[in-house]
Amino acid sequence: MNDFISQALLNPLQLLGHQLLTVLPNVLAMGIILLGGLLTAWAFGFFVERLLRMIGFDHLCDRLGLNAALLRGGVKTDPSRLVGHSIYWTVIVLASITALGALNLAPINQFAHSLLAYVPHLVTATVILLAGYFLSNFTSRAVLIAAVNAGLTPARLIASCSRWGIQVLAGAMALEQLGIAQHIVVVGFGITWGGIVLAGAIAFGLGATDLAKGLLERRLVARPRSGTVDDLHHW
Amino acid sequence: MSTSFTPLTAPTEARLQDIGSAEILVGIPSYNNADTVGHVVQAVSVGLAKYFPGHRAVLVNSDGGSSDETTAIVARTTIDFQHFFIAEQQSILHRIVTPYHGIPGKGSAFRTIFEIARRLKTRACAVVDADLRSISPEWIELLLRPIMEEGYDYVAPYYLRHKYDGTITNSLAYPLTRALYGQQIRQPIGGEFGFSGELAVHYLDQHVWDSEVARFGIDIWMTTEAIASGARVCQSFLGAKIHNPKDPSADLSTMLVQVMGALFALMEQHEDLWSRQGTSQPVPLFGFPYEVGVEPVHVNVERMVSHYRHGLTDLGPIWQQILATDTVSRLRDLQGTAGTDCRIPDELWVQIVYDAATAYHKRIMPRDHLLKALTPLYLGRTASFVQATQGLTSKEAEQKIEALCRTFEHMKPYLVECWQPRALQPFTPALLHHTTVAAGGDHE
Repeated sequence: MNDFISQALLNPLQLLGHQLLTVLPNVLAMGIILLGGLLTAWAFGFFVERLLRMIGFDHLCDRLGLNAALLRGGVKTDPSRLVGHSIYWTVIVLASITALGALNLAPINQFAHSLLAYVPHLVTATVILLAGYFLSNFTSRAVLIAAVNAGLTPARLIASCSRWGIQVLAGAMALEQLGIAQHIVVVGFGITWGGIVLAGAIAFGLGATDLAKGLLERRLVARPRSGTVDDLHHW
Repeated sequence: MSTSFTPLTAPTEARLQDIGSAEILVGIPSYNNADTVGHVVQAVSVGLAKYFPGHRAVLVNSDGGSSDETTAIVARTTIDFQHFFIAEQQSILHRIVTPYHGIPGKGSAFRTIFEIARRLKTRACAVVDADLRSISPEWIELLLRPIMEEGYDYVAPYYLRHKYDGTITNSLAYPLTRALYGQQIRQPIGGEFGFSGELAVHYLDQHVWDSEVARFGIDIWMTTEAIASGARVCQSFLGAKIHNPKDPSADLSTMLVQVMGALFALMEQHEDLWSRQGTSQPVPLFGFPYEVGVEPVHVNVERMVSHYRHGLTDLGPIWQQILATDTVSRLRDLQGTAGTDCRIPDELWVQIVYDAATAYHKRIMPRDHLLKALTPLYLGRTASFVQATQGLTSKEAEQKIEALCRTFEHMKPYLVECWQPRALQPFTPALLHHTTVAAGGDHE
């Protein structure tokens, strides 16, 4: 009976205890690395931000037009804080991967390596999303102004469509970069976009035949305009 | 100062070698103007033969690649001088017909004309549009004589126009140029100018030929640059200006972007000059002013007001970025006005222009967006002007424009305050050769 208890319960417990004792320093090391990383990230972020402020980085960006570009993209944070935050999160990510490596466990090591290999994709996807965001804001404003100047009543709708079109495209590209449901995203996007274009073409063909005719006539055949337009010379 | 040469074609180079030098040059920039260019060449030729018979003169046609007969007409147009009581032509008028290089546009055409003026060492130059129908030989005298005999460097045109003709000039280019640079030049973007050979060389040496100036901002640039360089400036009364109708489908916002963009860009360049300039001074006027009937202009006010209201609804957030809070709230207050009624008073319009100039300077948003977003505001102001001047004579309408100009001048401190918080540096104008000039060359 004693042998049974020893073999069935105590040995595994001893083994577990032994394994825990082996891993414990690694866990402790992971904790220390994480804590150190957190402090380092905060310190780096804080000091870089302060340093940039001291040397007038925001003013420099303002002169270079970067602040206006950020504002145009809807980002209201100043460049110094933006750089500080970026550094903070970069250090956190690096510290987390290092901390996982400190456990020295094969599956976790493998996971850490995979995570490290995934970082470039993550960065690319972020860049794509950011570029898409800025581009969509820029384009939608250009479309809105052009539509209002052309006297199109649904100007805001057209501008919104252009904004969301670009943001959806950027989102699809980012997901493809991250490897998330690649085929579904590509096919889904293709079907949706193709459907919109087809629907638009059919709607224009059926509902705006006269408009299309008039447009082509004006483009291809020079003829006098109707009397509704004034003959004001602005120049 | 740069001495880079503008490339000319081999035949033009050879022609310049043959001619050697000339005292007078008249330039005609053209692009598909076969209908009118013959008349313009005749007027120029007769004008030179009649008023400058003893001077060596050159007519330069700088063409933008016309697909019609424009260049051939310039080359073959002949004049029977006896019909104009010119018994004997004392000096042969040389003709140069040349394509221009560079960005397509009137500015590049002018650049080639300036370069030829430099090579020929001309004393006086004039440029006239190729689409003019009302040009007469007297225009040539009026554009060139102030330079040849009175010692002026730049001659701006002074036309008789319908009160609704040239609304960008009346509501923007004239009042703003006058308020900024202190010279009352009534047609700063007129199209026909006279200038000295020295000023032509000065123009050529500026590094603007790859910018918007090379396209269509050349007129306001020439006027502003003449003032800024310290040149002596005057005006000549040319009577009514009638030219071939412009393309009716030409985009207004593109036109507005060209003029406003050039005005605002020049404000950045000459900040030290305009920020210290006080009240404006009259500019001497040559020629004999007379009254003449001008063609009526039909205006669709309803369409302009509708355009303005559309802008107020949809471009509100963009205008909030460009304009001051007070300006936007005053615009919103006007929205309550019923029907086609639209009143943008002088003070509000001036505030809009000054806010827009400041926003352009501070790069609040892409400049192209900013300028294009102002089109409905401009249409609102134009509708407002038309409504305010209905039933008024041209002279009374002119008084309204004068009142607007005074408002621009009166509110200039607002612009200076918004524009730049930094302390302004003392300014020394880059004078061409006149140090103190009674006729407006002194900017202090």
